[in-house]
Amino acid sequence: MTDECKIGVYVCNCGTNIAKVVDCDAVAEFALDQPGVTVAKSYKYMCSNPGQEMIIEDIKAEGLDRVVVAACSPRMHEPTFRKALQTAGINPYFLEMANIREQCSWVHDDPGEATGKARALTMAAVRRVAYHEPLEKRSVDMNSNVLVIGGGVVGMTAALELAGGGSRVYLVEREDHLGGNVARVDLTAPFLDSARDVVTSLVTRVTENPRIEVLLESEVTSFEGFVGNFETKVVTKGNGAVSSEFQVGNVVVATGYQQFDASRVTHYGYGKLPNVITSFELEQMLRAGCIETKEGRPPHYVAIIHCVGSRSREFHPYCSRVCCMTALKYAHEVRSAVPGCYVSDIYIDMHAFGKGHEDFYRGASEAKTLFLMYGKNDHPVIRKAGPKDDCEMLIEVNEKLSGEVIEIPADLVILMVGMEAQADSEATARLVNISRDKDGWFIESHPKLDPVATTTDGVYIAGACAAPKDIPDSVAQARAAAGRILARSIHGTIEVDAVFAEIDEEKCSGCRICNDLCPYSAIDFDEEKKRSTVISAVCKACGACVAACPSGAITARHFTDRQINAQIEGVLA
Amino acid sequence: MSFEPTIVGFLCNWCSYTGADLAGTSRIHYAPNVRVIRVMCTARIDPTFVLKALHDGADGVLICGCHPGDCHYSEGNYKMMRRYPLLKKMLADYGIDEARVRLEWVSASEGQRFADIVDDMTQRVRELGPSPIKEGLARDMAER
Repeated sequence: MTDECKIGVYVCNCGTNIAKVVDCDAVAEFALDQPGVTVAKSYKYMCSNPGQEMIIEDIKAEGLDRVVVAACSPRMHEPTFRKALQTAGINPYFLEMANIREQCSWVHDDPGEATGKARALTMAAVRRVAYHEPLEKRSVDMNSNVLVIGGGVVGMTAALELAGGGSRVYLVEREDHLGGNVARVDLTAPFLDSARDVVTSLVTRVTENPRIEVLLESEVTSFEGFVGNFETKVVTKGNGAVSSEFQVGNVVVATGYQQFDASRVTHYGYGKLPNVITSFELEQMLRAGCIETKEGRPPHYVAIIHCVGSRSREFHPYCSRVCCMTALKYAHEVRSAVPGCYVSDIYIDMHAFGKGHEDFYRGASEAKTLFLMYGKNDHPVIRKAGPKDDCEMLIEVNEKLSGEVIEIPADLVILMVGMEAQADSEATARLVNISRDKDGWFIESHPKLDPVATTTDGVYIAGACAAPKDIPDSVAQARAAAGRILARSIHGTIEVDAVFAEIDEEKCSGCRICNDLCPYSAIDFDEEKKRSTVISAVCKACGACVAACPSGAITARHFTDRQINAQIEGVLA
Repeated sequence: MSFEPTIVGFLCNWCSYTGADLAGTSRIHYAPNVRVIRVMCTARIDPTFVLKALHDGADGVLICGCHPGDCHYSEGNYKMMRRYPLLKKMLADYGIDEARVRLEWVSASEGQRFADIVDDMTQRVRELGPSPIKEGLARDMAER
């Protein structure tokens, strides 16, 4: 089979990412010796414009009809190279990639072994590509309606952007009001704008927008279908449960985060010491305009402890990103609300990464906040003060910069609780068919190149449901997700992958085993002909029916038995 | 020289292949013995693929899919889960040690788990030695 083809093999060095472990020239030389291979080259960056140009020119000049690119994961650049094939005038499905970066050079250190494996993977791709068939992408309708799950700042921003672009938006919020976590905050760091203003203006615009339907006290109970053509059911509680059904083309998941439960950190005595409170409890005091201890006295000494639940071995390993600046904001707000109050800020590292953050940090330092640095696994210890002390509590800090154990007084201790994934994030992930990382955050399609899309086409994530984020970053993501959806909705139809299952009527015995096996009910039975047929628009190409058909009548396009068998032969050749 | 097994890996696109890619982006090193073939879902894995791999010289076959309940196609991994015991039974009849074929669940976030599974399986198959099928075939070829 390979003999009849003119295959071009392109081995990417990925700068030194691949070439420092894999001998790319040797892989190309090896490939050139294989039957059917006309051209084999090794090049610095295959995905770069010159790299793609090289492939395109070779296809034209040498009359190549198949292309193998041995480079990064196909999950990364398969679309790039398919486009190059198309530009050169051959069917984009005549491409096969060999993953010699993520699954080879980045995980092996012995050059001999890594090169051997890269050769085997390239060989498998060469053998497989010979059996590739030209496929045409399918065009499906794109419903311009959008479902937005979560009515916080992110959900509202996305909804407004989408409605502005002409979409009808269903904004689903499970609480009885919009605003999410930001609605619980007083001022925002570092510019000290009012969070209430941010939320109020969004809520007004959302509720007044005729294209946005807000469903409060509501939850999405089912979400079925595929990009452009989803059907969803929303149940609204309140006065008896009412169920509504909507058809939407895309969904934005903006379910945000929940605050870390401070009582899990037993050593700070939250829930036991009355004047140890969380950052959100302080926000409540700030919003009410009254900072006081449980005894109703204004505090003389306020201590702020960073990284509660974050950056810890026991709880969450990640940084929650917003707490450092919020803590500085508290130092500022507490001092203006309670003049003469001493504020100490007990931190691990000061993360001042964003716009205006460093200036804000400097401002707080100059305003006589006492900064004390503690070690990551050497947390401060809080104890109740004695009758002779002029404060409620004493905090012992093993201060890292001075190397001394310092005891400071406190009347009010504020625990900077981190962000964590919503308790029901697993259920949400299953509902819309996306994945979660080890900490429960939703996984994006690509963290750098495709941060708001997911591996499920038509499902977008924005804001803190994907990882801790501050308001500017979250708003940027909300608009990004809306922009992505609008750009794809504009034509009314979209192209989807040409990969689906097909049943050979001649071979089908009409046993109907496949009918019940399909999770999408994509297989119809023709009672007259006594044969099964696949509804291609509904098929998602999992291949369950293909492996189960006793007559071998079902073919998975682009994942045929012949293609996979050739690959098996290739890796073992 | 010690024996180095060749293992064919069948990984589902959505969870396990992504998990293996994550091991790469996280630079988690593991044994180079597994050669991966990507399928959309473990439900696509025809048991004959496993038999063919063993016939063609693999010393082991590793199948990885989404954790139960997490399948991208809602229940494809359950289909694999049901086929697997039948396949194991058949392999036992052929006299193939059951440690040579393994089904594991690896999510998109479990790069470390993928690396650990590969290392563990490689070590176990290394201890078992070359596949008897491979040796039998070699013998047949020599006699011919």
